[in-house]
Amino acid sequence: MAAFLRRPAADQSAMAGAPFHSWPSEDETVWMAFYRIEGGYLLRFPSLADFQICGDDSQVICTPAPDASEADIQHLYLNQVLPLVLSALGRSVFHASAVELCGGAVAFVAATGRGKSTLAAAFTVAGHRLMTDDGLVLDARDGRYEVVPSHPSIRLWEDSLSAVMPSGLEQSPSLSFTSKARLMAGGPIEYGDQPRTLLGAYFLGEAVCDEVLLHRLSEAEALCEWTKHSFLLDVHDRGNLREQFDRVSALAVAVPCFRLDYPRRFAELERVRDAVSETTAALV
Amino acid sequence: MDMTIRYEISDQVISREVGEEAVILDLESGTYFGLATTGARIWQLIGQGKTLEEICDRVADEYEVSRADLSNDLIALAQDLTARGVIRPRSSTA
Repeated sequence: MAAFLRRPAADQSAMAGAPFHSWPSEDETVWMAFYRIEGGYLLRFPSLADFQICGDDSQVICTPAPDASEADIQHLYLNQVLPLVLSALGRSVFHASAVELCGGAVAFVAATGRGKSTLAAAFTVAGHRLMTDDGLVLDARDGRYEVVPSHPSIRLWEDSLSAVMPSGLEQSPSLSFTSKARLMAGGPIEYGDQPRTLLGAYFLGEAVCDEVLLHRLSEAEALCEWTKHSFLLDVHDRGNLREQFDRVSALAVAVPCFRLDYPRRFAELERVRDAVSETTAALV
Repeated sequence: MDMTIRYEISDQVISREVGEEAVILDLESGTYFGLATTGARIWQLIGQGKTLEEICDRVADEYEVSRADLSNDLIALAQDLTARGVIRPRSSTA
């Protein structure tokens, strides 16, 4: 694992040039800006922190902004920076949640805001252990893929929290940049801390439907979807892109993938859970 | 369109055949797209240096489709792939 070092808090100085890439926030401001610097990269979360990624071993050096909390820094490192670092080190990392199911694991793959955390939460309250809320790491082993357990927490919007989880759950300290509630594993949220074979991946649709829809993707469709939802530190690094494409090509052939779409009503979650469970059971 | 054209695939492009389809990744732009069945076969034949006419004959025979329809689709696909920068006409040799 790459080393993580901390510098004292400091104001974020202006960068010499424009970022080569950026991720937008939901309000279309810049959430994270990617810069190339001598020896590596700098990831800037405006008003929160800078993370320098340096060296062959991708050491991470964080300079928090003056008002950033410890909870902010930990979250940014674990959920945003570390997946990118792992991708640069040749690991396959995706925007997905995962839960244990049918003796293995299933992944729910989607962009931010499509419901992958809520769906994972719906499985945890039914007794299935959570493996990751985002930043799904997959390791290839002997022709199958293992889900690597990640940080044992889940973040939910208030309405999802109220609708899906039991009341009175202890929440972790809030983050300054989001109103999502953070729940650590424990109590009703059991955490799976052992790698599990990925049995199937479910790519969440855009909720343009009146019922639960689930169909198998072709291998080419799966390859495009995995590519779309990959964490990539440098989207212009051709060597890395080529390697990632090769890894994802093998993944798309090896693991059954499905398009899953459903109306985003909490009352539908039990039906969705049943459909996923039934489909996954048929794969085993 | 000149059906004797041969194309070459940009060296900034990688592709993978999965099942009967092909997925093409443009390393220059980071964009990717898929070609299904006949499109994937056309892509394969382009990579083998066949002329558009040869591709049309081969695919029409293999997939038992109308040559006239196929010719239009083939030209459209070649133009689209050229516009995306993933293929370019080969320079002629003596």
